[in-house]
Amino acid sequence: MLKFIAGRSLLSLLILMLAVSLLFFMIHMVPGDPSSVILGPKASPELKAELNARMGLDKPILIQLGNFYSGLARGDLGTDVFSERQVADVVFEQLPYTLALVIAAIGGASLLGIPPGCFSAVRQNSFLDRLTAIMSVAFIAIPSFVVALYLLLWLAVKLRWFPAMGAGEEGNYANQAWHLVLPAIALGLGWVGYIARLVRASMLEVMEENHIRTARAFGLPERTTIIHYALRIAILPTVTILGLGIGAMLSGALFAEIVFSRPGIGKLLHEAVITRNYPVVMDSVLVTTAFFVLSTLVSDIINAALDPRLREGRGQS
Amino acid sequence: MNNKNPTSSRREFLQHSTLAGLGLAGAGIPGISWAVRGDELHIRNYNEIVVLDPTFSISGAEGVIARAIYQNLLQIKNDGTWDTELDAAGYFEQLDDTHYAFRLKPGQIFNNGYGEMTADDVKFSFERMIDPDIKSINAPDMGPLSHVEVHGRYSGTIILHSPYGAFIAIGVAFGSGAIMSRKAVESVGGRFNIIPPCGSGPYFFKEWRAKRKPILERNPSWEGPEAAFSEIHIYPMTDAKSGEMAFEAGQLDCAEISVESVEPFETNPPPNSYLETHPGGRNFWLGMNMENPSLRDIRVRQAIQYGVDVEAILEAAWFGLAEPSTGPIPKGIVGHRPENLIPPEGDRDKARALLKEAGVELPLRLRLDVNSDALERTAVQVIQWSLKKIGVEIEIYAQDNNSFLNIGFEDKGDQWQDVQLFLQSFIGGPDPYYSIVWFISDQVGQWNWERFSNEEFDRLNALALATPDVAERDRMYQRMQDLMEESGAYRFITNGVMPYLVRKSIKPSFRPDGYPLLRGFHPAGRQG
Repeated sequence: MLKFIAGRSLLSLLILMLAVSLLFFMIHMVPGDPSSVILGPKASPELKAELNARMGLDKPILIQLGNFYSGLARGDLGTDVFSERQVADVVFEQLPYTLALVIAAIGGASLLGIPPGCFSAVRQNSFLDRLTAIMSVAFIAIPSFVVALYLLLWLAVKLRWFPAMGAGEEGNYANQAWHLVLPAIALGLGWVGYIARLVRASMLEVMEENHIRTARAFGLPERTTIIHYALRIAILPTVTILGLGIGAMLSGALFAEIVFSRPGIGKLLHEAVITRNYPVVMDSVLVTTAFFVLSTLVSDIINAALDPRLREGRGQS
Repeated sequence: MNNKNPTSSRREFLQHSTLAGLGLAGAGIPGISWAVRGDELHIRNYNEIVVLDPTFSISGAEGVIARAIYQNLLQIKNDGTWDTELDAAGYFEQLDDTHYAFRLKPGQIFNNGYGEMTADDVKFSFERMIDPDIKSINAPDMGPLSHVEVHGRYSGTIILHSPYGAFIAIGVAFGSGAIMSRKAVESVGGRFNIIPPCGSGPYFFKEWRAKRKPILERNPSWEGPEAAFSEIHIYPMTDAKSGEMAFEAGQLDCAEISVESVEPFETNPPPNSYLETHPGGRNFWLGMNMENPSLRDIRVRQAIQYGVDVEAILEAAWFGLAEPSTGPIPKGIVGHRPENLIPPEGDRDKARALLKEAGVELPLRLRLDVNSDALERTAVQVIQWSLKKIGVEIEIYAQDNNSFLNIGFEDKGDQWQDVQLFLQSFIGGPDPYYSIVWFISDQVGQWNWERFSNEEFDRLNALALATPDVAERDRMYQRMQDLMEESGAYRFITNGVMPYLVRKSIKPSFRPDGYPLLRGFHPAGRQG
C-alpha cells in the first residue's frame, strides 16, 4: 500500500508542476499588465517600469518561471502586487470559504444522490426508479448558473428564506451555514443526478455478480447484502468521480461566488486574472490544482483501500 | 395582491432580465448600495478596496470610504455641486497665486490614540505626497507644491512654486489632500495599504477582511455633528445585478443599478423604495488614431464624426437616460461647453460628401477596439450601424479591459499603429484638468491614443493650469475642447448616468458625478 501511495504521490507532483507551468505560460501570453491597473493613468512610464521591475515582469519568461519555483521551494509565494500582502495570506484567507462550499456541495450531492441511485437499482423499473431517472437527467441538464439564479430569485428575493449575498457573520457558524445553503445547492444539484445515475448503473452491474447471488443463497438479509456487499463495490467508481468532482467544483465555485457575492478562491482568481495580478493568479491556480490532484490521489487511495485488486495492480475486473 | 397588479409583468420582466444579466456575470457597472439595520448602514461597494493610503489610492471604491474616515482641510459640499467648504480647517484662504493660509479647528482627534491634529500633520500629509522617496502615484494632484510652513500648533501656509488652478479642487479638497497623522503613519513604517493606522473623520475603520465587508464605526472622538450611523458595513460586489437582487432581498436598501433596469424599477419599484438618477462623470468618446493611414485625412475623420448618431447610441446603450456630452468636461465643472460643434444626431449627407471629397473608395473598412463590457459593446454596435449607412464598415474587436487598456501604449509594442477607432472612457474629477490632461502631446503613446498633438491645445493646458482666474480657465478649456473636436479625432458621446434604488428609510447624498458621500447619509426624517 505504501508503495502504491508513494508512486501515486510522485505522479501527482509531476502533474501539478506540468499544469502550473502550462498555466504560467498561458497567463503571460495574454496581453495586458498589472502596472496600468495598479498605478492608474496618472502614473509615469518610469513608475510603471519600476513596478514591473519590482514584480520581476521585466525578466524573460523562463527566468520568471524559475523565480516562481525557487520562491515556492523556499515557501515564499510572493507578494500581492496590489495590496503588497503575502500571497499565501491572501490565498489561504479565501480558501476555507471555497472549501466549505465545495465540501457542502459534494457532501450534499452524495447524501442526496447515493440513496436514490441505490434504491433505483434495487427496485429497477419501478415508478420511483423512473422518477429518479427523470429527476437525475433534469438535474444534470439544468446549468448550474440557472439553478443559482432561480434559487436566488425565489428563495432569497421572493420568499426571503435565505440570504442573497455574503458568507455570514464571522465566528457565527450557524449563520455561515445558512449562507452556504443556496450556493451549495446551486453548485451540487447537477452532481446529485450524476451520482444517482452512476450509483444505479454500478449497483445493477454488481447485483448480477456471483458473490451477491451467493450472499443471497446463504440467506443473508437483503439489506446486508445490498449495503455491505453490493454498495461497497458499486461505490468505487463514484468515489473516483467525487475526487474529480471536488477539483471541478473548486473552479466551478466561481459562478456561485459571483452570483451570491461570496468570498472565495474562485472569485479571487477571477479578479486576479482580470487585473493581471500574476502572483495571486499563479498561487490560486497552484492551490486549486494541488487540491484537484490531491482529491484525485485520495480517491485513488480510498479505491485501493476498498478494493485490494487495485493496490496489487490487477485493476478492476 | 401583487399578482393582480397589471404592472407585475414588468416586474417579471425585470427579474428575468436580471437573471439573464447575471448569467453573463462579469464586472458590473460601478455601484454602491445601502441597507439600514437599526442604527447600521449596510452598503455595497462596486469593488474591493486595495489601498487606503492617499499616496497610492486610485479607485473610486476607496474614495467612498476615505471620505468618511479622513478629513481634508476643505471638503466637497453636500449640495450636489463641486463647491467646497471647511472641513478640518476652521479658516482657509488663498493669499495670492501661490500661498494658501489655513488654521485647523482645535480639538480634532486622530483615533487609536494618536492625539490631536496639528499643522505639522498637514505639513506631513502634503509633503509626503510629493516626497520623491515615496513615489506617490498621486503626486501630480499636488501640482507645483513646494512645501508647507507651520506657524503654530494649528496654523500654517501652503506654498506652491507657481500658480496652480486645480490646487483647491484636487490638491486640497479631493482624495490626495487627506490629512494623516505623522505619528501614526510613521509608526507603521511610513506607508500602509488597507488598514489605516488612524483617521479623524466621523467614522473610523473598524475591521477589514479580504473579499468580505469592511466595517466603519461611528468615531466617538469626532467633534462635528454625530455620525448618522453606528456602523457602516461595506460589501464589495462587482456585479450590479447581484446588487439589485440583494436590494430586492432586503439586504441592501440602496443600490446603483444598471441602466437597463431603470425603466422596470421606475414602473414597479420594490417596497418602500424609490429611484434616483444622477448624471455621471465618466467621459465616453469615440477616438480615432490620426496617424493610422486610413484616418490621416481629416475629411475621413470628420465624416466619421458626422456619421455617428450619438442620440441613437444613447437610446440603445443608455436607454435614453444619459445626455449627449459636449466634451470631456461634464456639466457643473469649469470649462463645460454648452454644445458640440457637430450635432449629436450627426449629418449623414455631410459625412458622405466628406468621404467623396476625400476620394475614399467605399466601403471603407475600419477596426474598432472596445472593452467587452455589455454597455460599451452595445454602443459600438450602434456606431457600426450608423457608419454602415455612410459606407464605412466596422469590424469590432472586443477584449477584456486590461488588454484593451494597452492598445495605444507605445511601450507595449507596435500594436498602437493598428489602432483605428476605439471607444474609450475616463472618469473625470472636480477640476477640468483631470478631464483634459490626457490629450496633451506628452501623452501621445500613453493615454493619448488619438495621437492628437496641437500646439495651441498644449499651451492652453499649461496656461489654464497656472491661472487662478475661473472665467479665464472656463474660456480656455472650452476652446481646448473645440480644438479636440475640430481635429476630427473625437466624437464625444456622453458622461453616462448613475441610477440608484433607495429605500425610503434613508436619505442618501451624492457628489455631482453620482458618487456617494457617506458622510451625508442619514436616516430619512433626520436632518443631515
